[in-house]
Amino acid sequence: MDFIAHPLLVISAPETRPNSSQEFVHQLAMTTTASTAEFTLPQRKKSDRRSALRWIISHVIQYWYLILIVLIGAFGNALLAAAVPMFVGQAFNAMLATPPDTTSLIRITVLIVVTQIVRGVLQLGRNFGAELIGQRMERDIRDELYVSLLGKSMTFHSLQPIGDTMARATNDVREINFMFSPGLNLVIGSANFLLMPIIMAPSYHPALILTPFVFIAAYFLALWQYLHELRPITLRVREAFGMMNTRLAEAIDGVETMKGMAQERSEVERFGSRARRFRDAFVHQGDIEARFVPLILMFVAQAAGLLHALLLFHQGVLDVGQVVAYFGLLLLFGFPTFVSLFAYSQVSLGMASAGRILELINRRNDLDQNLMGKSDPMRGEIEFKGVCFTYDGKEPALENIDFKVSPGQTVAIVGQTGSGKTSLVKLINRTYDATNGQVLIDGVDVRDWNLEALRQSISIIEQDIFLFSRTITENIAFGHQNATNEQIHSASTAAQAHDFISEFSDGYDAVVGERGVTLSGGQRQRIALARAFLTDPTILVLDDSTSAIDSATEDRIQRAIFEAARGRTTFIITHRLSQIRWADQIFVMRKGRLVASGSHEELMRTSQAYRRIFSE
Amino acid sequence: MGFFSGLDSEGYDRQYTDRQLFTRMGVFFKPHRKKLVGIGLLLIVIAAAGATVPVLVSRGLDILGSEMRIRDIYLISGAVFIAGFISWGANWWRRRMTARAIGDVVLALRTEAFRSVADHDLSFHDEFTSGRIVSRITSDTREFGQVVVLITDLVSQITQAFILAIVLVNTEWQLSLYLLLFLPIIFLIASSFRNLARKVTRRGMRAMANVNATIKETVSGIAVAKNFRQEASIFAEFDDANTQSYRVNVQRGFVLSIVFPTLNALSGVGTAMLVYIGGMNVLQGMVSAGAWYLFILSLNRFFFPVLNLSAFWAQVQSGLSAAERVFALIDAESKINQNDNQIVPRLQGNIQFEGVWFRYTEQEEVLQDFDLHIQPGENVALVGHTGAGKSSLAKLVARFYEFQRGAILIDNMDIRSFDLQSYRSQLGIVSQIPFLFSGTVAENICYACQETPISQIETLSQQVGHGEWLESLPDGLQTEVGERGGRLSMGQRQLVALLRVLVQNPAIFILDEATASIDPFTEWQIQQALNLVLECTTSILIAHRLSTIKAADRIIVLDEGRIIEEGNHEGLLASQGHYAHLYNTYFRHQSLAYIEEARQLSEGD
Repeated sequence: MDFIAHPLLVISAPETRPNSSQEFVHQLAMTTTASTAEFTLPQRKKSDRRSALRWIISHVIQYWYLILIVLIGAFGNALLAAAVPMFVGQAFNAMLATPPDTTSLIRITVLIVVTQIVRGVLQLGRNFGAELIGQRMERDIRDELYVSLLGKSMTFHSLQPIGDTMARATNDVREINFMFSPGLNLVIGSANFLLMPIIMAPSYHPALILTPFVFIAAYFLALWQYLHELRPITLRVREAFGMMNTRLAEAIDGVETMKGMAQERSEVERFGSRARRFRDAFVHQGDIEARFVPLILMFVAQAAGLLHALLLFHQGVLDVGQVVAYFGLLLLFGFPTFVSLFAYSQVSLGMASAGRILELINRRNDLDQNLMGKSDPMRGEIEFKGVCFTYDGKEPALENIDFKVSPGQTVAIVGQTGSGKTSLVKLINRTYDATNGQVLIDGVDVRDWNLEALRQSISIIEQDIFLFSRTITENIAFGHQNATNEQIHSASTAAQAHDFISEFSDGYDAVVGERGVTLSGGQRQRIALARAFLTDPTILVLDDSTSAIDSATEDRIQRAIFEAARGRTTFIITHRLSQIRWADQIFVMRKGRLVASGSHEELMRTSQAYRRIFSE
Repeated sequence: MGFFSGLDSEGYDRQYTDRQLFTRMGVFFKPHRKKLVGIGLLLIVIAAAGATVPVLVSRGLDILGSEMRIRDIYLISGAVFIAGFISWGANWWRRRMTARAIGDVVLALRTEAFRSVADHDLSFHDEFTSGRIVSRITSDTREFGQVVVLITDLVSQITQAFILAIVLVNTEWQLSLYLLLFLPIIFLIASSFRNLARKVTRRGMRAMANVNATIKETVSGIAVAKNFRQEASIFAEFDDANTQSYRVNVQRGFVLSIVFPTLNALSGVGTAMLVYIGGMNVLQGMVSAGAWYLFILSLNRFFFPVLNLSAFWAQVQSGLSAAERVFALIDAESKINQNDNQIVPRLQGNIQFEGVWFRYTEQEEVLQDFDLHIQPGENVALVGHTGAGKSSLAKLVARFYEFQRGAILIDNMDIRSFDLQSYRSQLGIVSQIPFLFSGTVAENICYACQETPISQIETLSQQVGHGEWLESLPDGLQTEVGERGGRLSMGQRQLVALLRVLVQNPAIFILDEATASIDPFTEWQIQQALNLVLECTTSILIAHRLSTIKAADRIIVLDEGRIIEEGNHEGLLASQGHYAHLYNTYFRHQSLAYIEEARQLSEGD
């Protein structure tokens, strides 16, 4: 018998797995494989991405020698485990013989020691082989997923929530590791244990194959039924836990609101009802797990096998040693019975995860590099002609946008949240492509530009400025890796960032983030501006949502932005009245439309809404 | 659980004694004592049935040698079947009962814990992060429940081993001695493996966390990397962490892979030993062949209990620590003391601070002998540098914190005499980052007054800036706001929070104004909503916007917990004192004059 967690010790399935409601595996076949990627690594072996199963196989097949070790280890381990009861049977015959055969007893004792040590080696081969496969699969798949993520367009990344990608790159990838070790390791290991009684029993009497045979058939039926019944309820437990947890976290985060509004009692009630729903699901799961039919089947098999062997003994067909050996062989069923509580679910979880990862890898790229496209120096003239855009094909985000901006002009875009400001600027560097109409730069459709040339001449400073956990120097020089220190310093001076950087004890070598300095939104923005000064783009897009708490900081930000806009075509999404006031053109957006545009003086005359925001 | 579980748990400090903990747990288990007794009885049944099988088989073996009747064969096989059936059936019932008992106890514990947390004042919430509280209420309670299951399982196994041990010793004590001497060796080996496994697991988890952090960072940074075509550079960073994690985790895998093969080989040696010594004993007539077989069969049944025992204490300890963390949460003392629970009548909004002393911590007094009188219906703006005591004043009025000396009177009644629920239902509070709960905009607007008809909310929404703000919400009032209101912009959240106050119609309004930047259109609408609220309440405004200060009846300039100036905007500005200085520091850039000058500012540089 193999030493594995006792069934009584297996606790209900973990409640904390990330739940993904997506339907995966069967959708995969329909998804076309990605054709062009924005980033590829040379000399990569192509994996088969037609279905989750093919994909996993195409990965694992390169470790065929490990698979071989696992299979040999599993078979040898089971075989030598079966040898023990057979030797014990022989020992009985040797001792009960007249006269007793002590030399045989010594020989058998030595044989048991030797075989069990060999068995240990084989089992180690099986375990570690599976472990190696699991770890390598985890590494390889994470790598493939990552490369594929890098290859995907910005459209993809803007739409794909980071949390979801993270879940797939961490938990789901891990699940694939677990699918091999312990999952498949135990499935293969225990399958060999099931085989042994069938292989060995006929050597005592052909009829003895009956019990193991019937048991195996019944075992798989019962197991299938068990897993089938358990799956939906496990899902329900997870969902109930998630719901309970989410509301709880929210209520505690909002404790000031909850208390301020005197809503403690109703929140406690709400939490109570969710906790109860979880409790009910938990108990239901417990009920199903409690009635684990393969366990009773195992007992039945032991009793029936014993009966059969004893009857054969009574007929004089078997001797004592053979009865002992046969009963010992039936005890081998214990291992498959116990591990089946979780080994099979582990495999199915792994396949589900593989499906989710592959779905992400296979998702289409909308843009391509367009290497043959225009790559002349850019002047910075921008024109939108009847541009419409929608994210999901239903709700339009932009409708019929028409405008023209001359090189070097500054445009301020104002409007409420959701009015289409951000969508508009993201069409310029092809983060998205217009659904209808044309976006032209220097009179050429952006889709006819070489993507790299296009993006190199356009800098976008997003609302949430992302900085890497590297030094400030590295962050500023991110797009221009061989910039000299002088260049970096003058860029940061122009961006009004030099002063605050110099105040850090490590200055430009200070590391950004948890392990280093924390920067305010305004400081991040100025680092991003410094980055833009260094790359010197023709077109600058600034999504500005920072706010200065004090007037002195505001002065610096004003200077930095005015300086950055000088000599470039600049789009500023801003809440700053001063930026709006002094822009060459102002676009007023409302519900995806450009409702007013012109200079400050023009808008003060024509637009009531505009006048309103400039009244004190 | 089992041998490999809990390898990643950390150590915790304990404050309660074991006795205190068990007493506390007893309270929660008491309603389920019948179930517990039932579980205990079933455990004994399971253990006995489990021990019976090898005994029966070995007895059968003895009969084999002698004259055996067909009836005995059926009897023995039948008995083996019945023992198996009882073991399965009892186990079924036990697990059903355990699931219920644990489910109910954990539910009661969770509800109790959350109720206490909801009652604790804000100084408690300042001390503990919400993540820690949540993990105590959900994860720690669950861990506690699991440990209870673990204990019952181990008890069952040990009982079974114990019954067998008695049978064995009675059969042949010398052979039993050999068998039992073997167990400490297994225990020692298992324990040392566990220690090793713990060590490599910790390292594995660290490497794993490192990969996850790298992925998180680089995935978040992909857009930036793509803008600057730096994919290769972030790939190198990722690849490094991934390879490193692989290397560490393979080491961990090796340690875990070697455990069972070693123990199996050891058990093989043990079996061989029993086969040889037992066989020789049979030869000398000291034991029967059946007894010999019983010893061989029993070896494995001692294995699990010993193995699990090696992991047991660590798990029980972590379970007790979990329970302790939950109880500590429940037991935390409230610092706010009400001396009465008067139901509060409709308030006028007359607020008086009389010689109030207040501090958050021992080290630093925030308010010292502070006096302030706010008239009913007055709108007061508080200004001052960070730490001047503005929000402390507001929080004391909301009775979120306890003050140390003096008195706060609301409509000439002691704030300490109020029933807090009825008092706070007359306060309208909008915090700096307005908090919304998941649900629709409408649900959030009537968070405190759930029976408000939707038509009234619609009317109110239209009053604010002609309802233009609803345009930007995809489903109007029925728009889902997302977790913590995350799907709405800061400006939209403020509008919802202000409407919430309008629906609530409080006597006293407390606003901690947001510093986030908001688009000018939404800003204008917020101003409209704010004006509506100010009209009908006594207001305390922690102002960050020029327009709000100008709208106030009285401006109070605070510095280090003292009032250093008061008056209205024009008057204070003209007097060129502290307020003028504050204005130049914080508010100047919001004025229209500044906007006109902005161009020169940049060019003059």
